[in-house]
Amino acid sequence: MSRMQRFLVVAAGLALLGLFSVAAPALMNDYFVRILTVMCINAMLVVSMGLANGFTGVFSLGHIGFVGVGAYVSGVLSLSAADKTSYLPNLPAWIAGLHMGFLSSTIVAALVCVVLAFLVGAPLMRLSGHFVSVATLGFLIIVNVVLINADDYTRGARTFTGVPLQTTLPWAMGWLLLALVVLARIVYSPKGRAWRAVREDTIAAQAIGIDVLPTRLSAFVIGAFFAGAGGSLYGHYLGSFSPSGFYFAYTFSLISMLVIGGMRSMTGAVVGVIVVSLLSELLRNLERGFDLGIVAVPPLYGASQIVLGIILILIMIFRPSGVMGDLELSFGRIAALLHKGRKE
Amino acid sequence: MKLTRRTVLGSAVLAGLAIASGSLSSRPAAAQDIIKIGAPFNVTGALSSVDAPALNGAKVKVKEINDAGGVLGKKLELVIYDTKTDPTVIAATASQLINQDKVPVALGFTDSDSALALGPIFQSAGVAFVTPGATSPKLPEQIGSEMFLACFGDNVQAAAGAEFVLNKLGGKTVYLLRDNSTEYTTLLAKYFEEAYGHGGGQIVLRDDYKAGDKSFTAQITKLKALPVKPDVLYVSAQPDDIGIVVKQMRQAGLTQPIVGGDGYDTPLLLSVGGKAANNVYFSTHAYMAEDSTPAIVTFFHAYKAAYNTPPENAFAALGYDTVGLVADAITRAGSVDPAKIRDALAATQGYKGITGSISYAPGSRVPQKTVSIIGVKDDKLFLAAEVTPNWIAKP
Repeated sequence: MSRMQRFLVVAAGLALLGLFSVAAPALMNDYFVRILTVMCINAMLVVSMGLANGFTGVFSLGHIGFVGVGAYVSGVLSLSAADKTSYLPNLPAWIAGLHMGFLSSTIVAALVCVVLAFLVGAPLMRLSGHFVSVATLGFLIIVNVVLINADDYTRGARTFTGVPLQTTLPWAMGWLLLALVVLARIVYSPKGRAWRAVREDTIAAQAIGIDVLPTRLSAFVIGAFFAGAGGSLYGHYLGSFSPSGFYFAYTFSLISMLVIGGMRSMTGAVVGVIVVSLLSELLRNLERGFDLGIVAVPPLYGASQIVLGIILILIMIFRPSGVMGDLELSFGRIAALLHKGRKE
Repeated sequence: MKLTRRTVLGSAVLAGLAIASGSLSSRPAAAQDIIKIGAPFNVTGALSSVDAPALNGAKVKVKEINDAGGVLGKKLELVIYDTKTDPTVIAATASQLINQDKVPVALGFTDSDSALALGPIFQSAGVAFVTPGATSPKLPEQIGSEMFLACFGDNVQAAAGAEFVLNKLGGKTVYLLRDNSTEYTTLLAKYFEEAYGHGGGQIVLRDDYKAGDKSFTAQITKLKALPVKPDVLYVSAQPDDIGIVVKQMRQAGLTQPIVGGDGYDTPLLLSVGGKAANNVYFSTHAYMAEDSTPAIVTFFHAYKAAYNTPPENAFAALGYDTVGLVADAITRAGSVDPAKIRDALAATQGYKGITGSISYAPGSRVPQKTVSIIGVKDDKLFLAAEVTPNWIAKP
């Protein structure tokens, strides 16, 4: 495919997606729009998690910490003045006076996460293997404890509510596309090669002149930017949330999406989100009981979690490196597939 | 096509999906003689010990109404979803109930957090939602005109608890311990403090812990170091923690009465607390036992017949009453139009439930109800008092 053709295809694809995201609420019922919105947010979080965890080999368990920080920072900033006085009466005056729109509060939240990731990452990215997982888990716990105890800013462990519901499908899809484009440019650039070199063999990477710490730190910080933005989208989607929402349960659900899809591929991350989200929605509806005409299955609440767990185990047995492994869906591959299909 | 492991697996998954989607699309048979009532509950997850009984109670009432001929000549049907104590699932379910199942009214949840996650979606769709057990009196203000409580607010039960401590237990001084990690426990403690202070009592020490804490040694040491022993210990706790709190306090030699709210109304109080639970009192919605009021006893037996277990707690009775309340509103509305049902709900006056009579004052969507105070003696629950508080803190 020539450069021009490729550009046209991309432009047409983007235009179609944009049109779809705007028209979706008219085309299908709100339930599916919501599922899609959550999938876009989760895809953004999982893809950004894959940077450090998959491409750079720094298996971080602290990603959700940044998501929580993003949700709370943007939540405090975009709360209306009236809600601020009723929910957060002890807020310092300079924050209480601030009121930001959805986009600006999201960007501020993402930047706060960048600074935080830099501070946390500078010492932690020196660690390797299991040590870095445990250390980043510590970060997650610290974030949780701070969120619970910074009463004046976060209402403690009580529900933080009143955040305007502004995350629509176009917003979520727009942010996801931005994340995918930016990250794909970096991952398949010399920088991305340095990440993978560090992952495969730290000593060999150093021998050819790659500085390990800044390389890992850059992946961690860029991932944190999109985690913060995703947190803001998540907060503005739910409208009310509490620190317990940004803890182990969410961490493990994102990690399972990443591992199922394939940690070493961005396509894999997106595929993982789609597979796990659709399966859990489907199973959640099935567990309410159904009638096949021949047999009627009674409702079995909780069965969906069990079946989902078994399916995940099966995928791990038959595809240990995830559905996609390290394959990416690219133009070259699609073209090759089409060509092959035509030949057969 | 070669029959490899991959193709077999793939086709199995595809077949599963096909069956699933087929059954999903064929199921909502929109029959004319059925009135659907949405029923999202956290059947699994942290809140299942209170949500599941509420749902079971609701089912008992639906069966009772349908056996007696239904409402407006139609049968009631609960559209049940397990929301798994997960806000994302709750939001998706809310939208599913409104857009897919098109329910004209819904009921569910026993905690404010879940109600807050679902509320805005029902509010913007203009469909009324009645919660059997989320006791935050702020909830209707936070969500709007479509949110109703079928239970009393925390300010009412805290006031009842305060009057019980002052008048029945003769407690002039109180030690106040609260779980500062949830909306429910912090509000309950705040309302208790206001009502108790208003009645002339004195709080000698306040202390905090967090849901999930397993050791209360620090708090107990501070309490024992007090120069004057407080007459009563008021502990604002969630169901999961109360058994351990009580046990550790008794082991430390504290024998005063321990008083709390409807979070104590769980089998865990007796099963975890054991002998330590004696001399504990809590405010709740109804006294669930075979020596209670005739209406409760009838419900007690119906529940036992249906589930082979006595009602676990008062939330079962609240679920039962909420269905009755909604059915009553549908009858008075004379139609299944969501706006008419909402107006009929708001106009409810003196609906006779088994947990007390429900009336909504104009503009208020929190009912005024009597509070039952339950005590523990000889490892058994007994009805210590029925209180209608005189002074109630503002929500």
